[in-house]
Amino acid sequence: MAEYAFRKINIDALEEDVLLPSDLYDPDPRGPDGVLSDAQAKSTEVRNLISRGDIPGALNAILTDPPYGEGVDEAKNLTKNALLLILNSTRASEIPAILKSLGQEQQDHLMAYIYKGMAAIGQGSDVTGSVLLNWHSQLTEVAGVGCIVRVMTDRRTL
Amino acid sequence: MSNTLRPYLNAVRATLTAALTLENFSSQVVERHNKPEVEVQTSPEALLKPLIVSRNESERVLIEPSVNAIRLSISIKQADEIEKILCHKFTRFMMMRAEGFVILRRKPIPGYDISFLITNFHSESMLKHKLVDFIIQFMEDVDKEISEMKLSLNARARIVAESYLSTVSAFSTREYDYNLANLTNLARVRKPRLDVISGHSKLG
Amino acid sequence: MILLESHSVIINDVLTDRFDKPSRADIQFVDYDNVRFHLSTPSSKSQILLSMGIQCWPDLVKYGAREHLQSEYEGYWLSEQDTEPEYNVSLIIDLEKIPEGVDDRLALISKLAHLKSTAMSSPFLSAFAEQASLQANYKDAAGAQAKDLGEQGETKGDLKIVRYREEEAIYIQASNDRVTVVFSTVFKEETDKVLGRVFLQEFVDARKLNALQNAPQVRYSNREPPLEIRHLPGLHNGEDWGYVTFVLFPRHFSNSSQAQSSINRIQLFRDYLHYHIKCSKAYMHSRMRYRVAEFLKILNRAKPEVAAERRTATGRTFRTR
Repeated sequence: MAEYAFRKINIDALEEDVLLPSDLYDPDPRGPDGVLSDAQAKSTEVRNLISRGDIPGALNAILTDPPYGEGVDEAKNLTKNALLLILNSTRASEIPAILKSLGQEQQDHLMAYIYKGMAAIGQGSDVTGSVLLNWHSQLTEVAGVGCIVRVMTDRRTL
Repeated sequence: MSNTLRPYLNAVRATLTAALTLENFSSQVVERHNKPEVEVQTSPEALLKPLIVSRNESERVLIEPSVNAIRLSISIKQADEIEKILCHKFTRFMMMRAEGFVILRRKPIPGYDISFLITNFHSESMLKHKLVDFIIQFMEDVDKEISEMKLSLNARARIVAESYLSTVSAFSTREYDYNLANLTNLARVRKPRLDVISGHSKLG
Repeated sequence: MILLESHSVIINDVLTDRFDKPSRADIQFVDYDNVRFHLSTPSSKSQILLSMGIQCWPDLVKYGAREHLQSEYEGYWLSEQDTEPEYNVSLIIDLEKIPEGVDDRLALISKLAHLKSTAMSSPFLSAFAEQASLQANYKDAAGAQAKDLGEQGETKGDLKIVRYREEEAIYIQASNDRVTVVFSTVFKEETDKVLGRVFLQEFVDARKLNALQNAPQVRYSNREPPLEIRHLPGLHNGEDWGYVTFVLFPRHFSNSSQAQSSINRIQLFRDYLHYHIKCSKAYMHSRMRYRVAEFLKILNRAKPEVAAERRTATGRTFRTR
């Protein structure tokens, strides 16, 4: 069988002008280290803001310039955990007002994080489905289906 | 109906509506071919970010959009061994009839119980919102159906055991009649009739 | 039909017909547990030969089946060398010598139709007899040395094994105060296994009802055989196997008619269980069929209707939507 193995080589991948997933978006100008230190700073800031009860401020901070792309897994994790902490500690009645105060880009990022949170259910995440589903439905009401489309088409994985 | 079912279905509905924006797209790899990009996975630029909507560990929906097709996989709640068997039987039964359900995939994605594949041809020939309605209705009914089947199985087992034991010995006609009456009641309540009980066939 | 009949419907129907007007017959048919029947008229129309082949015949003979059948079917019984080849038991019925009265005839037909269950009942009957003698001995001994025996526990009779199917068997054991019947049964399919467990659990639970307090005690175990038969070699352990134990007390077989009806029920237990497992599967199948048809209707609603031109009676056309 060994002499046939060459037939299974994906020759398209060896071509020079092959399209890689990383070609589909621009890398973060901050660089991996900058992103990580940024995420750490933001995650502490968010904890402070939550303890002071400033949920809109915390959400605003975490959703501005979130880490994306490859090689920044730790920063992504930090951001995700901080965000889920915010979602968990928000009262249901305050959600619509908070959502309306966010800009469009932030709403899109929030939606992406909600999907990310739902994908993590059952893999040791401490957030429940009902909380995320509630946020999801409120956000869809405020930002519309277009928000979900923008999440799907965004090449920068958060 | 549990209180998180509604938001769950709404989230699936919104995501599915968003994903069902398909257009005709010829394969970039094989000339004069037109394949669902989500199935062949050959051109990364034609694929979009897969999304998961989940209610808890066991119930979740994976939606994988691409430029000309979306793949939707459902994981159905299975609380115990009986439900697992019933769910497996039911989904298998449906998938064997996939030619009738044009959007049904014949095999589920690993980790899920049933998968649908909606291509641009389906979304062009069918009403999009009705397609979404179908998926939602399916998710709603399949849970109901499985729990009803489980209930009817238990009810039958109970009646079978009771009528057997009541006749084995210390025979009491009164109980036997009571059980018969119970069974006829059951047959009347359940919709697709319990007519198999009367179907007399001897097993070898 | 919830309960299975212990007699053979075919024998019943054919004999009822032939008793009225004798005619030729050559019918081969089967009953539960690999039992084969052959009903024929080899010499003349009025001589009906009824033969039965039963898989566990060697076991049954050991527990007195031959003597039991001989006494039950006195006058119809054919001796061993006259038995039809490939069968174990043969009865000859001479239509010119059958009783005249309608009731007598019905009684005879019913008796012949119960041929299989009569054959199968011999180990049970011998176990019941054994129990009675054990009980009597126990009482005698108890008068003398009540204390010793009380601590020693019960006395037990021989374990009777009837291998009524290829892999499955009935184990019967008499002791001084009860008769224990153990069934081993195999579930060939994953679904059967799970459904079987549900049914067997219900058998155990059903006895908790007040109305069924008098029923025999039922226990079941899967994977491991129960203590009574655990010492036997060649038992199967594993997921596919189920063991059901019935404990019969003397009140279940105190008089002969009650004993017979208990036996008729008990020996069909395995068939009863599997019959209802199959029935449930058939029922679920019909349900799924119905549900899938409903789903298909919902899906078809998504297909837009083709607007067709129709004509009214006056000749004008209109479009349906």
